Amino acid sequence: MSLFWSIWVMFLVVLNLGITLLLFIWAPWAKVPVKPDGTTGHVWAHGAIREGLNNLPRWWIVLSASMFIAAFIYLWLYPGFGSHKGKLGWTQHGQLAEEVAANDAKLDPLLARFRMYSVEQLSGDPQALQMGKRLFEDNCAACHGYQGKGNMALGAPNLTDQDWLYGGTGKDIVASITQGRAGVMPAWNALGEDTVNNLTEYVLGISGQPHDAKMAAAAEPTFKSTCAACHGADGKGNQGIGAPNLTDAIWLHGGTRADIHKTIHDGRQGEMPAWDKRLNEDDIRVTAAYVYSLSHPGNASSP
Amino acid sequence: MAYKHFEFIEKHAWTLGILTAIMVSIGGLAEITPLFMRAHQVEPPANVKPYDPLRLAGKDVYVSEGCYLCHSQMIRALRFETQRYGHYSTAEESVYDRPFQWGSKRTGPDLARVGGKYSDTWQRMHLMDPRSVVPQSNMPSYHWLADEKLDAKDIQARMRVLRTLGDPYSDADIASAPAAVAGKTKMDALIAYLQGLGIRNEPQAPNTSAAPATDGGSP
Repeated sequence: MSLFWSIWVMFLVVLNLGITLLLFIWAPWAKVPVKPDGTTGHVWAHGAIREGLNNLPRWWIVLSASMFIAAFIYLWLYPGFGSHKGKLGWTQHGQLAEEVAANDAKLDPLLARFRMYSVEQLSGDPQALQMGKRLFEDNCAACHGYQGKGNMALGAPNLTDQDWLYGGTGKDIVASITQGRAGVMPAWNALGEDTVNNLTEYVLGISGQPHDAKMAAAAEPTFKSTCAACHGADGKGNQGIGAPNLTDAIWLHGGTRADIHKTIHDGRQGEMPAWDKRLNEDDIRVTAAYVYSLSHPGNASSP
Repeated sequence: MAYKHFEFIEKHAWTLGILTAIMVSIGGLAEITPLFMRAHQVEPPANVKPYDPLRLAGKDVYVSEGCYLCHSQMIRALRFETQRYGHYSTAEESVYDRPFQWGSKRTGPDLARVGGKYSDTWQRMHLMDPRSVVPQSNMPSYHWLADEKLDAKDIQARMRVLRTLGDPYSDADIASAPAAVAGKTKMDALIAYLQGLGIRNEPQAPNTSAAPATDGGSP
Protein backbone atom coordinates (compact mmCIF):
# COMPACT_ATOMS: atom_id res chain seq x y z
CA MET A 1 0.00 0.00 0.00
CA SER A 2 1.45 3.32 -1.02
CA LEU A 3 2.01 6.08 1.53
CA PHE A 4 -0.82 8.12 0.06
CA TRP A 5 -3.43 5.38 0.45
CA SER A 6 -2.11 4.50 3.87
CA ILE A 7 -2.62 8.09 5.00
CA TRP A 8 -6.01 8.15 3.25
CA VAL A 9 -7.22 5.15 5.23
CA MET A 10 -5.73 6.42 8.50
CA PHE A 11 -7.39 9.80 8.01
CA LEU A 12 -10.81 8.25 7.39
CA VAL A 13 -10.48 5.89 10.36
CA VAL A 14 -9.50 8.76 12.66
CA LEU A 15 -12.27 10.93 11.24
CA ASN A 16 -14.94 8.28 11.67
CA LEU A 17 -13.91 7.02 15.09
CA GLY A 18 -13.07 10.58 16.17
CA ILE A 19 -16.46 12.07 15.34
CA THR A 20 -18.43 9.21 16.86
CA LEU A 21 -16.25 9.03 19.97
CA LEU A 22 -16.46 12.81 20.46
CA LEU A 23 -20.24 12.68 20.21
CA PHE A 24 -20.33 9.74 22.60
CA ILE A 25 -18.25 11.57 25.22
CA TRP A 26 -19.83 14.96 24.70
CA ALA A 27 -23.49 13.97 24.64
CA PRO A 28 -23.95 13.24 28.39
CA TRP A 29 -22.43 16.68 29.25
CA ALA A 30 -24.29 18.67 26.65
CA LYS A 31 -26.32 21.54 28.01
CA VAL A 32 -29.89 20.96 26.97
CA PRO A 33 -32.30 23.83 27.52
CA VAL A 34 -35.31 22.58 29.45
CA LYS A 35 -38.75 24.07 29.07
CA PRO A 36 -41.08 24.42 32.06
CA ASP A 37 -43.02 21.34 30.95
CA GLY A 38 -39.85 19.23 31.22
CA THR A 39 -39.29 18.84 27.48
CA THR A 40 -36.63 20.24 25.17
CA GLY A 41 -39.17 22.27 23.25
CA HIS A 42 -38.64 20.20 20.10
CA VAL A 43 -42.08 19.45 18.74
CA TRP A 44 -43.37 17.50 15.76
CA ALA A 45 -46.84 17.15 14.30
CA HIS A 46 -48.00 20.47 15.74
CA GLY A 47 -47.17 19.58 19.30
CA ALA A 48 -48.56 16.05 19.32
CA ILE A 49 -45.02 14.66 19.62
CA ARG A 50 -42.64 16.34 22.05
CA GLU A 51 -39.06 15.46 22.94
CA GLY A 52 -38.61 14.55 26.58
CA LEU A 53 -35.36 14.50 28.54
CA ASN A 54 -34.16 11.14 29.78
CA ASN A 55 -30.77 9.70 30.56
CA LEU A 56 -29.45 7.15 28.11
CA PRO A 57 -29.98 3.58 29.35
CA ARG A 58 -26.92 2.23 31.13
CA TRP A 59 -26.74 -0.92 28.98
CA TRP A 60 -26.57 1.24 25.87
CA ILE A 61 -23.70 3.33 27.24
CA VAL A 62 -21.76 0.24 28.37
CA LEU A 63 -22.34 -1.50 25.04
CA SER A 64 -21.23 1.51 23.01
CA ALA A 65 -18.14 2.07 25.16
CA SER A 66 -17.14 -1.58 24.76
CA MET A 67 -17.60 -1.27 20.99
CA PHE A 68 -15.13 1.61 20.91
CA ILE A 69 -12.64 -0.37 22.99
CA ALA A 70 -13.09 -3.40 20.71
CA ALA A 71 -12.47 -1.21 17.64
CA PHE A 72 -9.21 0.16 19.06
CA ILE A 73 -8.01 -3.31 20.10
CA TYR A 74 -8.90 -4.68 16.66
CA LEU A 75 -7.00 -1.94 14.84
CA TRP A 76 -4.03 -2.57 17.11
CA LEU A 77 -3.98 -6.36 16.63
CA TYR A 78 -5.09 -6.75 13.00
CA PRO A 79 -4.32 -4.97 9.72
CA GLY A 80 -6.78 -2.13 9.10
CA PHE A 81 -5.18 1.12 10.19
CA GLY A 82 -3.45 2.13 6.95
CA SER A 83 -0.23 0.23 6.41
CA HIS A 84 -0.08 -0.84 10.09
CA LYS A 85 0.31 -4.63 9.83
CA GLY A 86 -1.22 -5.35 13.21
CA LYS A 87 0.45 -6.77 16.29
CA LEU A 88 -0.51 -10.34 15.37
CA GLY A 89 0.86 -10.08 11.82
CA TRP A 90 -2.27 -11.81 10.53
CA THR A 91 -2.71 -12.35 6.80
CA GLN A 92 -5.28 -14.35 4.90
CA HIS A 93 -2.61 -16.40 3.15
CA GLY A 94 -0.75 -16.94 6.42
CA GLN A 95 -3.90 -18.32 7.98
CA LEU A 96 -4.44 -20.62 5.01
CA ALA A 97 -0.85 -21.90 5.27
CA GLU A 98 -1.41 -22.54 8.99
CA GLU A 99 -4.65 -24.41 8.37
CA VAL A 100 -3.05 -26.50 5.63
CA ALA A 101 -0.10 -27.30 7.89
CA ALA A 102 -2.43 -28.21 10.76
CA ASN A 103 -4.46 -30.47 8.49
CA ASP A 104 -1.31 -32.06 7.06
CA ALA A 105 -0.09 -32.75 10.59
CA LYS A 106 -3.37 -34.56 11.31
CA LEU A 107 -3.23 -36.52 8.05
CA ASP A 108 0.49 -37.33 7.99
CA PRO A 109 0.40 -40.38 10.30
CA LEU A 110 -2.48 -41.79 8.27
CA LEU A 111 -0.74 -41.17 4.94
CA ALA A 112 2.51 -42.57 6.32
CA ARG A 113 0.60 -45.76 7.16
CA PHE A 114 -0.99 -45.81 3.69
CA ARG A 115 2.45 -45.59 2.06
CA MET A 116 3.45 -48.85 3.73
CA TYR A 117 0.86 -50.79 1.76
CA SER A 118 0.26 -51.56 -1.87
CA VAL A 119 -2.80 -50.16 -3.63
CA GLU A 120 -4.34 -53.65 -3.55
CA GLN A 121 -3.86 -53.85 0.22
CA LEU A 122 -5.19 -50.32 0.68
CA SER A 123 -8.40 -51.30 -1.07
CA GLY A 124 -9.27 -53.22 2.10
CA ASP A 125 -8.64 -50.28 4.42
CA PRO A 126 -11.87 -48.48 5.40
CA GLN A 127 -10.11 -45.14 5.99
CA ALA A 128 -8.31 -45.25 2.65
CA LEU A 129 -11.59 -46.15 0.94
CA GLN A 130 -13.41 -43.30 2.66
CA MET A 131 -10.77 -40.85 1.44
CA GLY A 132 -10.63 -42.42 -2.01
CA LYS A 133 -14.41 -42.32 -2.38
CA ARG A 134 -14.45 -38.57 -1.73
CA LEU A 135 -11.70 -37.96 -4.27
CA PHE A 136 -13.42 -40.26 -6.76
CA GLU A 137 -16.74 -38.44 -6.45
CA ASP A 138 -15.15 -35.04 -6.93
CA ASN A 139 -12.77 -35.92 -9.73
CA CYS A 140 -13.72 -39.18 -11.46
CA ALA A 141 -17.50 -39.47 -11.12
CA ALA A 142 -18.22 -36.86 -13.80
CA CYS A 143 -17.11 -39.38 -16.45
CA HIS A 144 -17.12 -42.79 -14.74
CA GLY A 145 -20.32 -42.19 -12.78
CA TYR A 146 -20.90 -42.17 -9.03
CA GLN A 147 -21.01 -45.96 -8.97
CA GLY A 148 -18.03 -46.20 -11.30
CA LYS A 149 -20.11 -47.95 -13.94
CA GLY A 150 -18.75 -45.79 -16.76
CA ASN A 151 -20.48 -43.95 -19.56
CA MET A 152 -20.69 -45.64 -22.92
CA ALA A 153 -21.77 -42.48 -24.76
CA LEU A 154 -18.56 -40.83 -23.61
CA GLY A 155 -16.36 -43.92 -23.82
CA ALA A 156 -15.58 -43.84 -20.11
CA PRO A 157 -14.99 -47.44 -19.06
CA ASN A 158 -16.92 -49.31 -16.40
CA LEU A 159 -14.58 -49.66 -13.42
CA THR A 160 -16.64 -52.26 -11.57
CA ASP A 161 -16.05 -55.20 -13.89
CA GLN A 162 -13.02 -57.40 -14.40
CA ASP A 163 -12.20 -56.03 -17.85
CA TRP A 164 -9.32 -53.55 -17.99
CA LEU A 165 -8.14 -51.55 -20.97
CA TYR A 166 -4.74 -50.68 -19.55
CA GLY A 167 -4.46 -53.30 -16.83
CA GLY A 168 -6.21 -53.67 -13.51
CA THR A 169 -3.37 -54.00 -11.01
CA GLY A 170 -2.89 -51.21 -8.47
CA LYS A 171 0.17 -50.06 -10.36
CA ASP A 172 -1.71 -49.90 -13.66
CA ILE A 173 -4.57 -47.92 -12.12
CA VAL A 174 -2.13 -45.47 -10.52
CA ALA A 175 -0.44 -45.02 -13.91
CA SER A 176 -3.80 -44.42 -15.64
CA ILE A 177 -4.78 -41.76 -13.12
CA THR A 178 -1.37 -40.09 -13.02
CA GLN A 179 -0.67 -39.79 -16.75
CA GLY A 180 -4.16 -40.02 -18.14
CA ARG A 181 -4.98 -42.19 -21.16
CA ALA A 182 -5.74 -41.36 -24.77
CA GLY A 183 -7.61 -43.73 -27.05
CA VAL A 184 -6.07 -43.94 -30.53
CA MET A 185 -8.50 -45.92 -32.66
CA PRO A 186 -8.09 -44.40 -36.16
CA ALA A 187 -10.96 -43.88 -38.58
CA TRP A 188 -11.00 -46.68 -41.20
CA ASN A 189 -13.51 -45.14 -43.59
CA ALA A 190 -10.72 -45.00 -46.20
CA LEU A 191 -10.99 -48.80 -46.47
CA GLY A 192 -14.32 -48.34 -48.18
CA GLU A 193 -17.88 -48.85 -46.99
CA ASP A 194 -17.97 -52.55 -47.97
CA THR A 195 -14.86 -53.39 -45.97
CA VAL A 196 -16.14 -51.46 -42.96
CA ASN A 197 -19.45 -53.34 -43.15
CA ASN A 198 -17.65 -56.67 -43.43
CA LEU A 199 -15.36 -55.82 -40.50
CA THR A 200 -18.42 -54.92 -38.45
CA GLU A 201 -19.85 -58.41 -39.10
CA TYR A 202 -16.49 -59.95 -38.25
CA VAL A 203 -16.32 -58.14 -34.88
CA LEU A 204 -19.93 -59.12 -34.16
CA GLY A 205 -18.88 -62.67 -34.92
CA ILE A 206 -15.87 -62.89 -32.61
CA SER A 207 -17.90 -61.35 -29.79
CA GLY A 208 -20.47 -64.10 -30.17
CA GLN A 209 -23.30 -62.01 -31.56
CA PRO A 210 -25.60 -62.78 -34.48
CA HIS A 211 -23.81 -61.84 -37.69
CA ASP A 212 -23.52 -62.44 -41.41
CA ALA A 213 -20.94 -65.23 -41.64
CA LYS A 214 -20.18 -64.64 -45.31
CA MET A 215 -19.40 -60.96 -44.80
CA ALA A 216 -17.36 -61.77 -41.70
CA ALA A 217 -15.30 -64.32 -43.60
CA ALA A 218 -14.60 -61.74 -46.28
CA ALA A 219 -13.23 -59.36 -43.66
CA GLU A 220 -10.96 -61.87 -41.95
CA PRO A 221 -7.82 -61.07 -44.02
CA THR A 222 -8.27 -57.36 -43.41
CA PHE A 223 -8.74 -57.94 -39.68
CA LYS A 224 -5.64 -60.13 -39.46
CA SER A 225 -3.50 -57.70 -41.44
CA THR A 226 -4.80 -54.39 -40.08
CA CYS A 227 -6.86 -54.59 -36.88
CA ALA A 228 -4.73 -57.35 -35.39
CA ALA A 229 -1.80 -54.94 -35.02
CA CYS A 230 -3.51 -53.53 -31.96
CA HIS A 231 -6.37 -55.89 -31.08
CA GLY A 232 -4.35 -59.06 -31.66
CA ALA A 233 -4.95 -61.81 -34.20
CA ASP A 234 -7.56 -63.37 -31.90
CA GLY A 235 -9.14 -59.95 -31.18
CA LYS A 236 -8.44 -60.23 -27.48
CA GLY A 237 -6.89 -56.79 -27.29
CA ASN A 238 -3.64 -55.50 -25.85
CA GLN A 239 -3.49 -53.84 -22.44
CA GLY A 240 -0.06 -52.42 -23.21
CA ILE A 241 -1.59 -49.96 -25.66
CA GLY A 242 -5.15 -49.94 -24.34
CA ALA A 243 -6.64 -51.87 -27.27
CA PRO A 244 -9.89 -53.39 -26.02
CA ASN A 245 -10.74 -57.05 -26.07
CA LEU A 246 -13.31 -57.48 -28.86
CA THR A 247 -14.33 -61.03 -28.00
CA ASP A 248 -16.20 -60.38 -24.75
CA ALA A 249 -19.56 -58.77 -24.03
CA ILE A 250 -18.01 -55.63 -22.55
CA TRP A 251 -18.02 -52.60 -24.83
CA LEU A 252 -16.40 -49.24 -24.34
CA HIS A 253 -18.30 -47.41 -27.08
CA GLY A 254 -21.22 -49.78 -27.50
CA GLY A 255 -21.52 -53.27 -28.98
CA THR A 256 -24.48 -53.00 -31.34
CA ARG A 257 -24.00 -53.28 -35.11
CA ALA A 258 -24.44 -49.50 -35.46
CA ASP A 259 -22.00 -48.73 -32.63
CA ILE A 260 -19.30 -51.03 -34.00
CA HIS A 261 -19.78 -49.63 -37.50
CA LYS A 262 -19.38 -46.09 -36.19
CA THR A 263 -16.29 -47.08 -34.20
CA ILE A 264 -14.60 -48.56 -37.27
CA HIS A 265 -15.81 -45.91 -39.69
CA ASP A 266 -15.03 -42.79 -37.60
CA GLY A 267 -12.49 -44.07 -35.12
CA ARG A 268 -12.60 -43.40 -31.37
CA GLN A 269 -10.40 -41.11 -29.34
CA GLY A 270 -11.58 -41.47 -25.78
CA GLU A 271 -9.60 -39.29 -23.45
CA MET A 272 -8.79 -39.64 -19.79
CA PRO A 273 -7.08 -36.46 -18.55
CA ALA A 274 -3.90 -36.69 -16.48
CA TRP A 275 -4.41 -35.99 -12.78
CA ASP A 276 -0.82 -35.50 -11.67
CA LYS A 277 -1.33 -31.73 -11.61
CA ARG A 278 -4.50 -31.91 -9.56
CA LEU A 279 -3.89 -34.77 -7.15
CA ASN A 280 -0.70 -35.60 -5.31
CA GLU A 281 0.78 -39.08 -5.07
CA ASP A 282 -1.01 -39.98 -1.84
CA ASP A 283 -4.35 -38.82 -3.25
CA ILE A 284 -3.81 -40.85 -6.40
CA ARG A 285 -2.96 -44.00 -4.44
CA VAL A 286 -6.09 -43.86 -2.26
CA THR A 287 -8.20 -43.04 -5.32
CA ALA A 288 -6.67 -46.02 -7.11
CA ALA A 289 -7.41 -48.16 -4.03
CA TYR A 290 -11.04 -47.08 -4.17
CA VAL A 291 -11.20 -47.85 -7.91
CA TYR A 292 -9.61 -51.24 -7.25
CA SER A 293 -12.20 -51.95 -4.55
CA LEU A 294 -15.03 -51.34 -7.04
CA SER A 295 -14.11 -54.48 -8.94
CA HIS A 296 -12.98 -56.41 -5.84
CA PRO A 297 -15.91 -55.90 -3.44
CA GLY A 298 -14.98 -58.81 -1.20
CA ASN A 299 -11.57 -57.37 -0.40
CA ALA A 300 -12.44 -56.13 3.09
CA SER A 301 -9.52 -57.66 4.97
CA SER A 302 -7.73 -54.81 6.72
CA PRO A 303 -4.04 -54.72 5.84
CA MET B 1 -21.38 22.90 18.54
CA ALA B 2 -24.27 23.47 20.64
CA TYR B 3 -27.49 21.68 21.19
CA LYS B 4 -29.41 24.02 18.90
CA HIS B 5 -27.49 22.69 15.88
CA PHE B 6 -28.88 19.27 16.57
CA GLU B 7 -32.34 20.69 16.59
CA PHE B 8 -31.67 21.95 13.07
CA ILE B 9 -30.46 18.49 11.92
CA GLU B 10 -33.38 16.74 13.58
CA LYS B 11 -35.92 18.97 11.94
CA HIS B 12 -34.44 19.03 8.42
CA ALA B 13 -34.75 15.60 6.90
CA TRP B 14 -32.47 16.39 3.93
CA THR B 15 -29.67 17.62 6.18
CA LEU B 16 -30.02 14.52 8.32
CA GLY B 17 -30.00 12.30 5.19
CA ILE B 18 -26.92 13.95 3.69
CA LEU B 19 -24.92 13.83 6.92
CA THR B 20 -25.91 10.19 7.43
CA ALA B 21 -24.77 9.37 3.89
CA ILE B 22 -21.41 11.05 4.52
CA MET B 23 -20.79 9.06 7.69
CA VAL B 24 -21.88 5.78 6.10
CA SER B 25 -19.69 6.32 3.04
CA ILE B 26 -16.53 6.73 5.11
CA GLY B 27 -16.25 2.94 5.45
CA GLY B 28 -16.55 2.48 1.71
CA LEU B 29 -14.07 5.23 0.94
CA ALA B 30 -11.52 3.61 3.23
CA GLU B 31 -12.08 0.01 2.11
CA ILE B 32 -13.05 0.19 -1.56
CA THR B 33 -11.25 3.22 -3.03
CA PRO B 34 -7.65 2.04 -2.41
CA LEU B 35 -8.40 -1.44 -3.77
CA PHE B 36 -10.21 0.02 -6.75
CA MET B 37 -7.26 2.27 -7.62
CA ARG B 38 -4.85 -0.59 -7.06
CA ALA B 39 -6.82 -2.85 -9.39
CA HIS B 40 -5.82 -0.58 -12.25
CA GLN B 41 -2.18 -1.07 -11.38
CA VAL B 42 -2.17 -4.89 -11.43
CA GLU B 43 0.40 -5.89 -14.03
CA PRO B 44 -0.17 -9.04 -16.07
CA PRO B 45 2.54 -11.64 -15.44
CA ALA B 46 4.75 -12.32 -18.44
CA ASN B 47 3.08 -15.62 -19.34
CA VAL B 48 -0.49 -14.35 -19.13
CA LYS B 49 -1.55 -13.42 -22.64
CA PRO B 50 -4.81 -11.88 -23.77
CA TYR B 51 -7.44 -14.34 -24.97
CA ASP B 52 -6.94 -15.72 -28.44
CA PRO B 53 -9.91 -15.01 -30.75
CA LEU B 54 -11.67 -18.36 -30.17
CA ARG B 55 -11.39 -18.18 -26.40
CA LEU B 56 -12.37 -14.53 -26.42
CA ALA B 57 -15.53 -15.50 -28.30
CA GLY B 58 -16.03 -18.27 -25.74
CA LYS B 59 -15.71 -15.83 -22.89
CA ASP B 60 -18.41 -13.68 -24.45
CA VAL B 61 -20.66 -16.74 -24.77
CA TYR B 62 -19.95 -17.48 -21.10
CA VAL B 63 -21.08 -13.96 -20.20
CA SER B 64 -24.05 -13.79 -22.55
CA GLU B 65 -25.44 -17.14 -21.38
CA GLY B 66 -25.08 -15.99 -17.79
CA CYS B 67 -22.82 -18.85 -16.69
CA TYR B 68 -21.54 -16.56 -13.92
CA LEU B 69 -24.97 -16.70 -12.30
CA CYS B 70 -24.31 -20.26 -11.18
CA HIS B 71 -20.53 -20.66 -11.49
CA SER B 72 -17.86 -18.63 -9.74
CA GLN B 73 -14.28 -18.29 -10.92
CA MET B 74 -12.81 -17.40 -7.58
CA ILE B 75 -11.04 -19.95 -5.43
CA ARG B 76 -10.88 -18.39 -2.01
CA ALA B 77 -7.85 -18.74 0.25
CA LEU B 78 -9.59 -21.31 2.43
CA ARG B 79 -8.28 -24.82 2.95
CA PHE B 80 -11.39 -26.67 1.83
CA GLU B 81 -11.45 -24.61 -1.36
CA THR B 82 -7.78 -24.94 -2.28
CA GLN B 83 -7.99 -28.67 -1.52
CA ARG B 84 -10.87 -29.14 -3.90
CA TYR B 85 -10.17 -26.62 -6.65
CA GLY B 86 -6.43 -25.93 -6.48
CA HIS B 87 -4.40 -22.80 -5.82
CA TYR B 88 -6.42 -19.78 -4.70
CA SER B 89 -7.20 -17.22 -7.40
CA THR B 90 -5.07 -14.12 -7.74
CA ALA B 91 -5.86 -10.68 -9.15
CA GLU B 92 -3.23 -11.05 -11.90
CA GLU B 93 -5.07 -14.02 -13.38
CA SER B 94 -8.11 -12.03 -14.40
CA VAL B 95 -6.27 -8.97 -15.67
CA TYR B 96 -7.66 -9.57 -19.19
CA ASP B 97 -11.16 -10.45 -18.02
CA ARG B 98 -13.46 -7.54 -18.80
CA PRO B 99 -15.57 -7.83 -16.80
CA PHE B 100 -13.99 -10.31 -14.40
CA GLN B 101 -15.97 -13.49 -13.85
CA TRP B 102 -15.22 -14.04 -10.16
CA GLY B 103 -18.91 -14.34 -9.38
CA SER B 104 -20.49 -14.81 -6.00
CA LYS B 105 -22.92 -17.65 -6.59
CA ARG B 106 -22.13 -21.33 -6.68
CA THR B 107 -25.05 -23.41 -7.77
CA GLY B 108 -22.51 -25.37 -9.77
CA PRO B 109 -18.84 -25.82 -8.96
CA ASP B 110 -16.16 -23.15 -9.22
CA LEU B 111 -14.61 -23.05 -12.68
CA ALA B 112 -11.45 -21.01 -12.04
CA ARG B 113 -9.22 -24.03 -12.76
CA VAL B 114 -11.53 -26.36 -14.63
CA GLY B 115 -9.31 -26.23 -17.74
CA GLY B 116 -8.18 -29.75 -18.64
CA LYS B 117 -10.16 -31.41 -15.85
CA TYR B 118 -12.44 -33.04 -18.39
CA SER B 119 -11.97 -33.95 -22.03
CA ASP B 120 -13.38 -31.81 -24.86
CA THR B 121 -15.85 -34.60 -25.60
CA TRP B 122 -17.07 -34.52 -22.02
CA GLN B 123 -17.51 -30.73 -22.16
CA ARG B 124 -19.48 -31.03 -25.40
CA MET B 125 -21.76 -33.80 -24.10
CA HIS B 126 -22.20 -31.90 -20.85
CA LEU B 127 -23.23 -28.68 -22.60
CA MET B 128 -25.53 -30.54 -25.02
CA ASP B 129 -27.20 -32.48 -22.21
CA PRO B 130 -25.70 -32.26 -18.72
CA ARG B 131 -27.68 -35.32 -17.56
CA SER B 132 -25.90 -37.52 -20.11
CA VAL B 133 -22.73 -37.39 -18.03
CA VAL B 134 -23.89 -36.22 -14.59
CA PRO B 135 -27.33 -37.74 -13.95
CA GLN B 136 -28.07 -35.63 -10.86
CA SER B 137 -27.05 -32.32 -12.49
CA ASN B 138 -29.59 -29.49 -12.54
CA MET B 139 -27.71 -27.44 -15.12
CA PRO B 140 -29.73 -26.40 -18.16
CA SER B 141 -28.86 -27.75 -21.60
CA TYR B 142 -27.13 -25.33 -23.99
CA HIS B 143 -27.54 -27.39 -27.15
CA TRP B 144 -28.33 -24.41 -29.40
CA LEU B 145 -24.75 -23.18 -29.02
CA ALA B 146 -23.73 -25.98 -31.39
CA ASP B 147 -25.94 -24.48 -34.12
CA GLU B 148 -24.73 -20.90 -33.92
CA LYS B 149 -21.68 -19.95 -35.97
CA LEU B 150 -19.26 -17.31 -34.74
CA ASP B 151 -19.12 -13.95 -36.46
CA ALA B 152 -15.47 -13.10 -37.22
CA LYS B 153 -16.16 -9.42 -37.90
CA ASP B 154 -17.80 -9.12 -34.51
CA ILE B 155 -14.84 -10.73 -32.77
CA GLN B 156 -12.41 -8.40 -34.55
CA ALA B 157 -14.46 -5.44 -33.36
CA ARG B 158 -14.31 -6.77 -29.82
CA MET B 159 -10.53 -7.19 -30.05
CA ARG B 160 -10.17 -3.60 -31.24
CA VAL B 161 -12.25 -2.33 -28.33
CA LEU B 162 -10.17 -4.35 -25.90
CA ARG B 163 -7.03 -2.90 -27.46
CA THR B 164 -8.21 0.62 -26.70
CA LEU B 165 -8.68 -0.56 -23.11
CA GLY B 166 -5.06 -1.73 -22.99
CA ASP B 167 -5.06 -5.39 -24.08
CA PRO B 168 -1.89 -5.91 -26.15
CA TYR B 169 -3.48 -7.25 -29.34
CA SER B 170 -1.33 -6.62 -32.40
CA ASP B 171 -2.70 -5.82 -35.85
CA ALA B 172 -1.60 -9.31 -36.89
CA ASP B 173 -3.59 -10.83 -34.00
CA ILE B 174 -6.72 -9.03 -35.14
CA ALA B 175 -6.11 -9.83 -38.79
CA SER B 176 -5.75 -13.54 -38.02
CA ALA B 177 -8.99 -13.71 -36.03
CA PRO B 178 -11.23 -14.74 -38.95
CA ALA B 179 -8.98 -17.72 -39.69
CA ALA B 180 -8.99 -18.76 -36.03
CA VAL B 181 -12.78 -18.81 -35.74
CA ALA B 182 -13.63 -19.96 -39.27
CA GLY B 183 -16.38 -22.56 -39.19
CA LYS B 184 -16.41 -22.65 -35.40
CA THR B 185 -19.61 -22.60 -33.40
CA LYS B 186 -20.34 -20.88 -30.12
CA MET B 187 -20.08 -24.34 -28.57
CA ASP B 188 -16.49 -24.75 -29.84
CA ALA B 189 -15.62 -21.31 -28.52
CA LEU B 190 -17.10 -21.94 -25.08
CA ILE B 191 -15.29 -25.28 -24.78
CA ALA B 192 -11.99 -23.65 -25.80
CA TYR B 193 -12.58 -20.98 -23.18
CA LEU B 194 -13.42 -23.49 -20.45
CA GLN B 195 -10.45 -25.72 -21.32
CA GLY B 196 -8.14 -22.73 -20.92
CA LEU B 197 -9.38 -21.66 -17.49
CA GLY B 198 -6.54 -21.62 -14.99
CA ILE B 199 -4.19 -23.80 -17.01
CA ARG B 200 -1.32 -21.31 -16.84
CA ASN B 201 -1.42 -21.25 -13.09
CA GLU B 202 -1.29 -24.82 -12.01
CA PRO B 203 -0.40 -25.18 -8.35
CA GLN B 204 2.89 -26.84 -7.49
CA ALA B 205 1.24 -29.33 -5.20
CA PRO B 206 -2.53 -29.44 -5.10
CA ASN B 207 -2.85 -29.69 -1.34
CA THR B 208 -0.46 -26.93 -0.38
CA SER B 209 -1.23 -23.31 -0.93
CA ALA B 210 1.45 -21.56 1.07
CA ALA B 211 3.37 -20.21 -1.90
CA PRO B 212 1.73 -17.18 -3.50
CA ALA B 213 1.04 -17.41 -7.19
CA THR B 214 3.69 -15.79 -9.32
CA ASP B 215 1.99 -16.40 -12.62
CA GLY B 216 -1.55 -15.77 -13.67
CA GLY B 217 -3.98 -18.10 -15.29
CA SER B 218 -5.91 -16.39 -18.03
CA PRO B 219 -4.77 -17.86 -21.30
